[in-house]
Amino acid sequence: MTTESQTFTEKYDLLGCIQCGRCTGGCPVTVRADLNVRQFVNDAYDEEKLDELARLAEIWDCTACHTCAVRCPKGLKPLEVLIGLRSMIVESGKVEPTVRDALQSVLLEGNPWEKPRAARQDWMEGLDVRIAEPGEHVENLFFVCCTNCYDPRVQVTAKNMVKILNKAGVDYAFLPEDESCCGSEVFTIGEEGLFEMTVEDNTEFLNEFNADRIVTLSPHCFTTYRTHFPDLKHPVIHYTQLVDELIQEGKLAWKGELPKKIVYHDPCYLGKQGGIFDEPRRILKSIPGVELLEFDRKRERSLCCEGGGGKMWVESESRQERLAETRIKNAKELEADIVAAACPFCILTLEDAMKGLGYEEEMRVAEIMELLGEFVEA
Amino acid sequence: MKTFVCIKYVPDTSEAEVKVNPDGKTVDDSRFSFDINDADNYAVEESVLIKEDKGGEVDVLSIGPKQSEVMIRMAMAKGCDKATRVEDDRIADHDPLIVAKVLAGAIKDQEFDLVLTGCWADDDGHMATGVALAEYLGVNHASMVKKVEVLDGKVRAHRELEGGLMEVLELELPAVLTIQTGINEPRYAPIKGIRQAQKKELNVVNLDDLSIDPAEVSADASQVVLENLYIPEVESAAEFIEGETDEKAEKLASILVKGGLV
Repeated sequence: MTTESQTFTEKYDLLGCIQCGRCTGGCPVTVRADLNVRQFVNDAYDEEKLDELARLAEIWDCTACHTCAVRCPKGLKPLEVLIGLRSMIVESGKVEPTVRDALQSVLLEGNPWEKPRAARQDWMEGLDVRIAEPGEHVENLFFVCCTNCYDPRVQVTAKNMVKILNKAGVDYAFLPEDESCCGSEVFTIGEEGLFEMTVEDNTEFLNEFNADRIVTLSPHCFTTYRTHFPDLKHPVIHYTQLVDELIQEGKLAWKGELPKKIVYHDPCYLGKQGGIFDEPRRILKSIPGVELLEFDRKRERSLCCEGGGGKMWVESESRQERLAETRIKNAKELEADIVAAACPFCILTLEDAMKGLGYEEEMRVAEIMELLGEFVEA
Repeated sequence: MKTFVCIKYVPDTSEAEVKVNPDGKTVDDSRFSFDINDADNYAVEESVLIKEDKGGEVDVLSIGPKQSEVMIRMAMAKGCDKATRVEDDRIADHDPLIVAKVLAGAIKDQEFDLVLTGCWADDDGHMATGVALAEYLGVNHASMVKKVEVLDGKVRAHRELEGGLMEVLELELPAVLTIQTGINEPRYAPIKGIRQAQKKELNVVNLDDLSIDPAEVSADASQVVLENLYIPEVESAAEFIEGETDEKAEKLASILVKGGLV
């Protein structure tokens, strides 16, 4: 929670808050849950109230989308007050079993999906993948992400990436089996000790490699490495930045056309947290035949899919419409054929919502890399 | 209250294919992840809940390799006070009676009120260790316990029986209880707690330290001989019976009669 020398108020700079309401005014979760982050920032000033605040169910409704932080005129991060309260619960050990199992799996197996470390590279079977050796120079060092490694729905992102890299003659290598979770969800769930350990261990592991840059396949790894790993020696980019470069350099050859209307969903960890808005759009527009549409809520205002902030392991008590369902309905109103994103969590939540709404026949949710796999010569 | 909780480090076979090694007697565990046996995890939580309610001390006891210490430290992070890990290649650990004999050897010279352990192990599934341990210690026992109430000098154990029946027993202490999963909700062991648990006492001992005669717990002393391990073959496909309800019932009855099953 706090160190002896630092109070909760000091740690989260609660006195810096002017209670302007910009945070709650932009919070996407307020439409479906009782979460009022401005009130938490106000009430957490009273240290005697912290235990009571930490027990409120709504602290787990925050998706850590960072809209509140983006909008805060004082540069504060109101969501981190909620993470601080979560950490009090985590330290007591009395978390939801799903959260417990995910955290324990990160500690024991290096991923939150309760999968064995030995199976981390099973997705590579049948592919010609270059594996990095410590000290050996490589331009692009790939960090795959636990979800892309293990979830059969999104493994396609990593598989297609390999095929395209091989075809385009890119100097690349993927990390060996020792690759471990970036800790994005560990941080937002509030397991401070495990996150500190993750930062130390991953910094030491990644710094052994001699790369010009690390390329992440998930925006969550991208933002976490850029924000929370001060001693990481490599710059970090997201794969959409690399693919955008390859297209600009004419290194990708298209096969066939995709005469479809695609609406691009900005993942929170890529857009509003990572500042990457244009590259994914340029990639999609490059695919022959594509008509790119835009949501009303786009770029910094993009509506969160509710996949972040540990929400893959915590079910909201709210029975209101999920934000991913709202997003899919918006896409339907736009008459989009495809909802594209470049984040494993967004793909999983949006696709669930699409199926739940019964739009499977008329609409598709796709990772950008999934579309590239279908329309790039590889 | 002085409680011992006996735990086992087991492979998780749910996420990796089980392959028998060419010797036909061991399993290739190179792709498994290992963790505390599920039922033992509930036993740890119950022992900590009893300590939180009644005070006292909880000692962890486990037979296992060095790698299992992470599991032991996690139990101590949750509230267990100290631990003993027994490591000795001479133990015929495929035999639950031998395992129970070693555990009893580690406990017998100490005062205790309760010994908790999981009702079965996820790897070999004998469901015998806890009961045999009670026998070796010469104390009362109850198996498949779904609720524990500690009384004055006694314990009330709610046992889960077949068909959903619950049997309620009162046992004089000391006693051994084998804990059924679902009795509680095991807590998370935070890293800060695991780090603090590094300061707690963890003794690593062998048979000589426990004054157990190796000849009594070796493969030669075991009455269980592991002959062969194999993956059962799928012998036939499922048959889906089509038709209206009456028709389906008639076809099903006919199949059962023909097969000599009724």
